[in-house]
This record gives sequence, C-alpha cells and structure tokens, in this order.
Amino acid sequence: MALPLILALVLGLGALTFVLRGMGPFLTTVPVVITSRTVGLAPALLAALVAIELTNARGVLHPDARLAAVIVAGGLAALRAPLLLCVVAGAMTAAILRAVVP
Amino acid sequence: MATVRHRAVSDNSAMRPVRTILLSAAPIALAVGFFGASFGVLAVAAGLPGWAAVLMSVVVFAGSAQFAAIGVIAAGGSVLPAVLTGALLNVRYFATGIAVARALPGGRLRRTLLAQLVVDESFVLGVAAGEPGRPDGRTLVAVGALLYLTWVAGTTAGALIGPALGDPRRLGVDAAFPALFTALLWPMLRGHHAVRCALAGAAVALLLAPFTPPGVPLAGAALAGLWLSR
Repeated sequence: MALPLILALVLGLGALTFVLRGMGPFLTTVPVVITSRTVGLAPALLAALVAIELTNARGVLHPDARLAAVIVAGGLAALRAPLLLCVVAGAMTAAILRAVVP
Repeated sequence: MATVRHRAVSDNSAMRPVRTILLSAAPIALAVGFFGASFGVLAVAAGLPGWAAVLMSVVVFAGSAQFAAIGVIAAGGSVLPAVLTGALLNVRYFATGIAVARALPGGRLRRTLLAQLVVDESFVLGVAAGEPGRPDGRTLVAVGALLYLTWVAGTTAGALIGPALGDPRRLGVDAAFPALFTALLWPMLRGHHAVRCALAGAAVALLLAPFTPPGVPLAGAALAGLWLSR
C-alpha cells in the first residue's frame, strides 16, 4: 500500500473513532431513545462481514475452507471458548483442510 | 441527604485500590494482549507495514473495527469502505461515550480524552463496579489504560513476528477473519432482536455483494441493523 493510503486508513479511522467516543461530555441531553437505536448495528455488521468473507471474487457464496473455519469458530464460541482459541482453531482448520484436500 | 448516604455506602467499589482493580482485570488484559498480537500478524499479512499496524492500535484502540478495516483491505477493498466499515462498528462507542460521560473526572476536554479509554471490556467492568446508571469512573480509567497498553504492546509483538510466519494463506490466516467475526458475533446474539439484526445484515450483504463494489454490502447491512434497532 502507498503511504498516503496507509495514513488515510489509519488516521481516518482513528479520527472518526475519537469523535464517536469523545462526544459524550458535549451531549449530556441526548435521549436514550437515540443511543439505543445503535444496538442492532454491531450484530448486523459482523454477520455481514462473515457472509462477505464467504463469497468469491464475484460476490457469490462460495463454500471453501473458510466455511469450515467459521463453523469451528462458531462452535467454540458457543462453548464459551476464549476468543483467541476460536480464531486460532478456525485458522488451523482451514490450513489443515488446504494441506489435506488438493 | 438520603441519597448522599446511599452513595457513601454503595460506593465501596470506588474505594478499591487501583492495584486491586488492575489485578481483577489481568486475565482480560492477557487476552487483549494476544488479541493485539493476532491483529499485528493479520495486518502485516494484509499488506500493512508493521509501524502502521502499531499506529492504528495507538489511534483507534478498537479490536473489531481494526480487524474489519484490515479485512476489507485484505479482500481487495479500497480505503474509504475500510474506514467506514471500521467506524460503523465503533458507532456503539457513541452510546457508551454518553453513558460514561458523567462518571469520568475533570472538565469536558479531559473527559473527552479519558473517554478514549472506553472499550467493551473496560465498559463492562466499569458498569459492574458502579451504580445503576453510573459506571465507576476509576475502574473505567484504570482498566482502560491497562488494556490500551497491552493492546498496543500486543500489536507491536504481532507486527514483529508476523513476517517470520511465512505464507499467510498456508497458515489459514485469511480464514482467521471470518472465524474472528463469528466469534465476536456469537456473544452478541442474545435475544431474538440481535439474531434478527444479524440475519438481516448477512442477507442484505449477500444480496448486494454480486452487484456492488466492496463496502456497499456492509453499508446496506448497517442500515438494516439501524432500521431494525427500534
């Protein structure tokens, strides 16, 4: 990646996050109704990220070793395994599948 | 007067020495350190220089958003959708920022800076140590500062060892992204409402993915999540 793009990525996300986190002291009168409207955002986005990761270059669902990684990670998460274990086990599943299946 | 006495009695948690607060957060700090290391490894594998991965952890300090932004880049997306995806995942910190604003010490500027230490884990511990509707400010700041240091240190370690790991695909590093997002998503799926939002987000993203550039499916999923958050 070129340097200006790297800086735009890092500092752009940093600045937006700073503003989001730091608005509180200036917005003491914002009703809970508005802030509670954001609760569905994180699950919707994360589910979309999982779905997008399982598509191919044309944007169509394409089950491969990544799907196995998702199933393993989801199963471990359901068993309340630590986040790191879920991720490592998922990645290892994909690595082993790729090594075994030509 | 009654409220003052009530506060004096129930505020025991705020009297805990900082050392006790930090010790109780040590297991979380360890996990955050490893999480930071995995971010460093994945960021380098996605093509980011090591210093940029560390700088990102310094100025963003939000695991899922950083992973999502890197994930968009790794999947071939451009900078704008990557930044917007990460920022959308951090919109929840707008809500927590308002929730902690009155619990933090100092004037507006100082509280704005201290609010940067609020992440999911420090928020949960701060709420647990506080009173209903008023998180414990000392816990928020102490735990937040500890997690910030371990997050940045972990990222640095990951960015340093990342290049030594070799071909990321052979190690399944690319599969770590969907695995991570799944593991982050799972604990959020408490109740029909969150499940509905997740299903709608995935469905909207998959419907848009074949016809739109990267980033649009995620924006559509975000809109679906907001729309259902009523």
